[in-house]
Amino acid sequence: MLLQIDFKSGTPVYLQLVEQIRHAAASGGLRTGEPLPSIRPLAEELRVNRNTVAKAYAELESQGVIETIPGKGCFLKEVGSPLTKSARNDLVIQEIDRAIVAAHHLQISDTDLLALVKKRLDVFERKNKAAND
Amino acid sequence: MNTDLPVIEIQNLVRRYGKHDAVNGLSLTVRPGKCYGFFGRNGAGKTTTIKCLLNLLRPDSGTARVFGLDPRKDEVAVKSRLAYVPDMVAFYPWMTVRDTLEYLASFRTNWNRDIENDLLKRFQLDATKKTTSLSKGQRTQLALIGAICPEPELLVLDEPTSGLDPIVRREFIETVIGAYQSGDPTRRTVFVSTHLISEFEGLIDEFTIIESGQNLLTMEADAARDRFKKIRARFNQELKLDLSGALNVKRSGREMEILANGNSEQLLAELKAHQPEELKIESLTLEEIFVASDVLKKANV
Repeated sequence: MLLQIDFKSGTPVYLQLVEQIRHAAASGGLRTGEPLPSIRPLAEELRVNRNTVAKAYAELESQGVIETIPGKGCFLKEVGSPLTKSARNDLVIQEIDRAIVAAHHLQISDTDLLALVKKRLDVFERKNKAAND
Repeated sequence: MNTDLPVIEIQNLVRRYGKHDAVNGLSLTVRPGKCYGFFGRNGAGKTTTIKCLLNLLRPDSGTARVFGLDPRKDEVAVKSRLAYVPDMVAFYPWMTVRDTLEYLASFRTNWNRDIENDLLKRFQLDATKKTTSLSKGQRTQLALIGAICPEPELLVLDEPTSGLDPIVRREFIETVIGAYQSGDPTRRTVFVSTHLISEFEGLIDEFTIIESGQNLLTMEADAARDRFKKIRARFNQELKLDLSGALNVKRSGREMEILANGNSEQLLAELKAHQPEELKIESLTLEEIFVASDVLKKANV
């Protein structure tokens, strides 16, 4: 899993790390039980404040994405959300609504949007498959 | 220890050289555990401010407090808890690297030998070498080792990487993150004055831009990148748009580049209404915000 920071993105640095690690977890870049890089070497490599990496890991832990095993480090957790199905749906609906609004403003038709969603699902599936082979 | 007590607190600091006001009413606060950037052009008053913190200069008026103490009255108490790396480092020419480190350690109650050995190895510094035979990069590395080994609560860096090659600069920053920041986060505060802002960008939590001895802008880094944005738009014909809400507008035929100051959403909406062929938005980096200082000053932000 390679991470990179873009200061021009407008997203706070710690959230960029959170999003990229979640993305890696969803696309097979990081597998269940695999260790995440330790805070110090990752901070050095990205040349970001150590506290920023610690904050990203704390956020991922509170979201239930990773777990810290004392003395061993941080690991990707088994997929299993503590939230109920309807709560999980609500969270995804917010994201879908955002994509629908963006598509509307960019004059992308409903059919094209659905086709794009399907295409992206395939991309993630292929990546996941490649990572597990 | 009171963790809310600011590590550095400067209020209305004034320091003159003759009739010239080098620092003219500067105020800023550095909270514990933060990495604070202090940006300004040559002659803006950065080094004068730092010298007031270290009691190398006395303020004409206003106050400078470090760990809540007055550096003029409690110089030893202040200096025993901080370390300073200036832009020009000087060592005694008759000493070797080893002698120099022993000499520096003799002033300290705490000296971490493991960090010393790690860093000597990392920088490939030969401890038997005379300090006169060191390159500029190696001298800075030696000064950094001397600053980090006492594990000070505050690390003051004044243009630490200027004049160094890019690899040494990179190692310097990695060392500040790795070796220095790995201790108790509430007792690891960095105050860095620099021109090479982009290199320190990821490290900076909060910053102040100083201009003519006065505070021009103080913000948290993430908040600043969220507030100042650059929008590029291209239309199919030249347009006369009223973008008075923008900080700055550059036009070139059908293209325009707009600087937003916390109002990028509103500006984007205005631009979108005219059906742009292309529309891009990105945050300003801290360096770009610094370069835009003149615009900020005129706009009085």
